[in-house]
Amino acid sequence: MNSRVGQATYRDRTLEFVKAVESLKKTVSLAPEVPSGTDALSLDGSKAAVSTQSEFNKRASKIGLGIHQTSQKLAKLAKLAKRTSVFDDPSVEIQELTTVIKQDITGLNSAVVDLQLLCNSQNESGNTSRDTSSHSTTVVDNLKNRLMNATKEFKEVLTMRTENFKVHENRRQLFSSSSSKDSSNPFLRQRPLASRGHHDSSTPAPWESDTNNSSSLFLGRTNADPSSSTQPLVQQQQQQMAAVQDSYMNSRSEALQGVESTIHELSNIFTQLATMVSQQGELALRIDENMDDTLANVEGAQSQLLKYLTSVSSNRWLMIKIFFVLMVFLMIFLFFVA
Amino acid sequence: MRVTALVILNSAASSSSSPEAADPVVLANATDVSRFGYFQRFAAREFILFVARTVANRTPAGQRQSVQHEEYKVHSYNRHDLCALAFMDDHYPVRSAFALLNQILDEYQKAFGESWRGVKVDATQPWPYLTEALTKFQDPAEVDKLFKIQRDLDETKIILHKTIENLLDRGVKLDDLVEKSSDLSAASQMFYKQAKKTNQCCTML
Repeated sequence: MNSRVGQATYRDRTLEFVKAVESLKKTVSLAPEVPSGTDALSLDGSKAAVSTQSEFNKRASKIGLGIHQTSQKLAKLAKLAKRTSVFDDPSVEIQELTTVIKQDITGLNSAVVDLQLLCNSQNESGNTSRDTSSHSTTVVDNLKNRLMNATKEFKEVLTMRTENFKVHENRRQLFSSSSSKDSSNPFLRQRPLASRGHHDSSTPAPWESDTNNSSSLFLGRTNADPSSSTQPLVQQQQQQMAAVQDSYMNSRSEALQGVESTIHELSNIFTQLATMVSQQGELALRIDENMDDTLANVEGAQSQLLKYLTSVSSNRWLMIKIFFVLMVFLMIFLFFVA
Repeated sequence: MRVTALVILNSAASSSSSPEAADPVVLANATDVSRFGYFQRFAAREFILFVARTVANRTPAGQRQSVQHEEYKVHSYNRHDLCALAFMDDHYPVRSAFALLNQILDEYQKAFGESWRGVKVDATQPWPYLTEALTKFQDPAEVDKLFKIQRDLDETKIILHKTIENLLDRGVKLDDLVEKSSDLSAASQMFYKQAKKTNQCCTML
């Protein structure tokens, strides 16, 4: 059964699926032209029910296959994110995988919502038996659960990746001084990848419910290949433009940082100036003290000399000495003569 | 560092989807061709307009671009189909050029609003703001505040370095003075002791 093919998760049965689809196409001629479940009302007979049911089965199987592929990619991404070492950082691949998985999940989400609408419309149309309706509702619920699990795993992987990245950044800052460039690289890489992602979403994803391409998966894929060759050119141009914009912004930010560093240097110079001036202020105080001491000494010396001058210029002591000597001579003279 | 020309064009028709799109329409134009000889000025002006049209045609919307042409650098900025170009020599800093283009675009939009979108023929009247901008902004410090701030800061730094050198010289002189004053105070002390000694000692002689 087609729905069973979508739910078998561990073997790649796309070839069987394609053959089944082709065989179904031959049996049900109206299948490629059924736009959605709402038009099932206009078709009558059991063929209408069978065609819408097979349409539903086809879509469900497509979605299941998509979920399986996405979970495989998610496992690869988880392995890559865990594996990151300091020197062999596959961040580009990780980013690419992340964007691809994100698009897949969004596409699958919309496809599951469409499938649910189709299932509800089928149930309302009343052409189907109770078993079919319950089966389709269970299939839709199952797909939704699986998609939710895949999204949760994706979020866990992303958080793990950001933690790893932070650890690596810390290690890089410890060992090298060029960490500022590393912090800008993820943003530089993200933009061209985001532009690439926009171009990829323009080609119809194979599992989206697309009424024109419901014929076969591979036809859709081979149509997308020639158009994808022109995409890298546009992406490169966009990358160049992004690089020019970034260089303008980078030069502005560098100028600002230069101004900031100059101001820091100026503040350094001013503090040095202040220290030196205060030190030299001490010197000035010492000089002042020395000069005061000198002044005191010289004044004292001057007073001493003045006293000496007065003592030398006054003859009082001399007179006493001369008188004494005369008295002595007089005494001797009188003593010896008389 | 000089600006040779400033041109504003309406490049609404030039999208990559139509290869035979009409050339951008010149809205305002200011050229300084005084460096060329008298007879070459007209040709130089035409040449500048032609190069301006080509570059504006090739600049996608919302992008900045710098093209090297002989000895001139052409900087162009396309903002919502209003494209401003500047022809300058290699020494003019690129960032200031784009700041200048930004300012011109703002002034133009303030002056003319959105009326330029309908213009299909080259405007022949000169726009006085553009001509005076051409003369005023020969020096990138006028237009780019960051450049001016950086230049002022550099000058301040030079002055401060000279100040610090003077301060060091002052320190050396102060050291010298300290030594001399301490010598002086020692000498004066000896002088005082000597005077005291001769004054009070032996009363002989």
